[in-house]
Amino acid sequence: MKVLLIASLILCLPLLSLAQKSRKAFGYDYNIDDLPNGLRVVTVPTDYPNLVALYIVVQTGSRNEPEKGKSGYAHLFEHLMFRGSEHYSGQERDAILKKAGADSNAYTTDDRTVYHEVFSKDDLDKVLELEADRFQHLKYSADGYKTETKAVLGEFNKNSADPEEKAFEVLRATVYQRHTYSHTTMGFIEDIEDFPNQYDYSLQFYGRYYRPEYTTIVVVGDLKRDGALAMVKKYFGDWKRGNYVPDIPTEPDQTAPREGHVDWPSETLPLVYVAFRGPAYSDYKKDKAALDLLAPIAFGENSDLYQKLVLQEQKLDSLSYTFEDRADPELFLVAAKLKDVKDTDYVRQQILETYQHFAKEPVPKDKLESTRSRLRYGFVLGMDSSEAIAGALASYIGLRRTPLTIDKLFALYDTVTPEDMREMAAKYFVDSHRTIVTLSTRGVAK
Amino acid sequence: MMKRGNLLFATVAITILGIFFGQLSSKGAASRRTSNMNAADTNTVLLPNRSPLVTFRILFMTGSAYDPKGKEGLASLTAAMLAEGGSRTRPYSDITEAMYPMATSFQWQVDKEMTVFSGSTHIDNLDKYYALIREMLLDPGFREDDFKRLKEDAINYLKTSLRGGNDEELGKEVLYTMIYPSTHSYGHQNMGAIGALEKMTIKDVRDFYQSNFTQANLVIGLAGGYPDKFSGQVQADFAKLPKGSPDGLKFSRPLQTPGTRIEIVQRDTRSTAASLGFPINVTRPNKDWPALAVVASYFGQHRSSNSYLYQRLREARGLNYGDYAYIEYFPRGMFQFEPDPNLGRQQQIFQIWIRPVEPANGHFVLRAALYEYDKLVREGMSREAFESTREFLSKYVNVLTATQDAQLGYALDSRYYQIADFPTYMRAQLAKLTLDDVNRAIKLYLKSDAMRIAVVTKDAEGLRDAILSNKPSPITYNAPKPKEITDEDRIIEAYKIVVRPADVTIVPVDRVFQ
Repeated sequence: MKVLLIASLILCLPLLSLAQKSRKAFGYDYNIDDLPNGLRVVTVPTDYPNLVALYIVVQTGSRNEPEKGKSGYAHLFEHLMFRGSEHYSGQERDAILKKAGADSNAYTTDDRTVYHEVFSKDDLDKVLELEADRFQHLKYSADGYKTETKAVLGEFNKNSADPEEKAFEVLRATVYQRHTYSHTTMGFIEDIEDFPNQYDYSLQFYGRYYRPEYTTIVVVGDLKRDGALAMVKKYFGDWKRGNYVPDIPTEPDQTAPREGHVDWPSETLPLVYVAFRGPAYSDYKKDKAALDLLAPIAFGENSDLYQKLVLQEQKLDSLSYTFEDRADPELFLVAAKLKDVKDTDYVRQQILETYQHFAKEPVPKDKLESTRSRLRYGFVLGMDSSEAIAGALASYIGLRRTPLTIDKLFALYDTVTPEDMREMAAKYFVDSHRTIVTLSTRGVAK
Repeated sequence: MMKRGNLLFATVAITILGIFFGQLSSKGAASRRTSNMNAADTNTVLLPNRSPLVTFRILFMTGSAYDPKGKEGLASLTAAMLAEGGSRTRPYSDITEAMYPMATSFQWQVDKEMTVFSGSTHIDNLDKYYALIREMLLDPGFREDDFKRLKEDAINYLKTSLRGGNDEELGKEVLYTMIYPSTHSYGHQNMGAIGALEKMTIKDVRDFYQSNFTQANLVIGLAGGYPDKFSGQVQADFAKLPKGSPDGLKFSRPLQTPGTRIEIVQRDTRSTAASLGFPINVTRPNKDWPALAVVASYFGQHRSSNSYLYQRLREARGLNYGDYAYIEYFPRGMFQFEPDPNLGRQQQIFQIWIRPVEPANGHFVLRAALYEYDKLVREGMSREAFESTREFLSKYVNVLTATQDAQLGYALDSRYYQIADFPTYMRAQLAKLTLDDVNRAIKLYLKSDAMRIAVVTKDAEGLRDAILSNKPSPITYNAPKPKEITDEDRIIEAYKIVVRPADVTIVPVDRVFQ
């Protein structure tokens, strides 16, 4: 087995040199097939032996929860999908996956819910049959539903031990007043506590979004496209298309800076989160691409700010940024974990000045080039197994339903100039679009 | 970057092996090169192939079990100084600057007996990347400013990340400190103790580096499409380290006073997290290890709904997010599905991990865990459960070793444990395993009269009083349950936890890892 695996890596990683030009960021051959019902199938044969990674991407996340009192259902559904379907109880399903040696799980984000398994290639047909049954004929009792809602509360509770989760929750709620990004994927706690009373609503949610037009099946690994496609058609071909389109509110313009604070009940390092409203994902508009390139330069481990606050002055335990690819406008967030609460104002000021600096001064050209290089190498280094390839694809499939968007995005990165980056910083890092959230131990004064 | 964790094992058998790895070396497409893994006198594990990625795992047979008394945390701090500090000629900021365009990093992980440095690079950048990590490991800078920063990081990790931000990992780590007394080499958290860290000096780090980062303790792991002569070059470079001699330390099984002991960590938190366990004298090469691996997978496969405990506690009762069982140290389990390699240990524990429950169900869930554990020991596994779990594990080894980095990590561990490469070993052992083997191993190793239980909760006194009173702790649900479950609940709610009052202790969270 081992010999086979080693030998086969040759074809798995086709980017022999990234230094060559005319490169594609996603270097694997793939096929896209659309079924008449709207289901899309992306097949990516690799030469990693034995295993197949199956990722089923539903373009539904906490973004799709605009109704008041109904946050958290996309994530709850991720759980309910494991409780059995018309032809397979949860236990039967588990038994089949166990026989396949499968690693099986799921996750939910703002924009997508992803069900994923990696297992022996010989079991692809059976696993697809199993998946088709729960996607088309999910069946859970009202009692089973209530039990699962408690598991979700347990998940909320375990997360709640983490101050960073709490600070992020408060940040989201402070920034977004109408858009559904106001809640995290878990949902508001009062809605989670109301889950047990909402069995009927849960069925409605399933009927709306678990439909072929929202779904893309990604199969990567030791397989042939024709065989895999035939299996998908066999089991998913009769799936009925839906017609629901959610009315997701647009977030109105923010006209003044906002702030929030969390008193943490136990000893913790203080947090300072400084966020600006940024753009949504795009593979043709430069806004997000320019800021993607700016983020590590301004706030990454090599940035002047990091060098100063973390390495030289050692005032911070950590400094990081997040700026996710999202369907709708997302936050550009810089997060600092302080060693001493007395430095809060200083750190906050340093972060704000850094934002402003890049709105005025273009980054050096060589810094931009090394960042482009970093993004490309980082993407390729991450794809070292069929599962890793499928996982990397899933996030882009969730946005655009095609791997092509990856190549377009990286081509777009190649066109960004230092002036573009400055211009986008000036456009997005404006005071009126700013929100700051701090967190510190209750009773400890600044 | 560090892997915040601890771990497992140890045999300081540096010069052995090779024969077991013959089959890992390349044939077919990768046969243009030969591996030196057959050479019995080398300290390398090489997995050459034609991937454009090159993976390093530079392993030293040292770790927190080698921390001198009163200097708990020195092994971790030394590793941090190497991987997150500057070299003699380059400050740390220069190193991160050089790694930046390559999108590379250098990670470290310290466990009881192993310290590993790992990273991957695209072949385009191999020379540049290797030059950096070579300098970091062989010509360290040991600067005062790096030392101050990394020492504070370690203290803050213990003080706030572990104590104040992750009840689950906290409970697990406290369990280890209950099982291994401070007199045992495993008897402190891998990151150290706060008091000891505060007193540590840069001279301590220099001394530890000199005496532990030696050729005798070194195993070089390489995988990927590196050039033919590259491994020889790496070996020659690392011959610069002091020779040293394998110390062959043996770590004994910790003696446990009979009886259940419970430590309740008091912390202001929404929920109640628990970990239970006791030492087992079994590691991978033991003939019964595969049998116990089957038991642990059946009883509580990590992060999988395919396990008994998960089905009973989460699926049927909705008590929490999941419930699992282990026969090897598995840190950071809340963040990852597969274990990290290079956590080999001579001594392991059997462990049950109960993810946080609502405090009202804290007493019930402890009873449920003990009830299910007793049942496992009493009844063993059924033929059906045995067959399906064996089949699962035979295939699941492919998942565990799906990446080049995992293959290399497991190969290093197999060298340490002196077994064949892990997938081959597991498939062969599982194939010949019988149900009788498994049920015998359960009776032999999993029967303990010295259960240790670590709990993290807010109302520590309330929980202690409830446990000691042994009064029923009925559970209520938000939906009707099948009779089979409610009948069993009647048994569990009155299940007796036999423990002496003196053996239920309460520890305020700020005293943990002090």
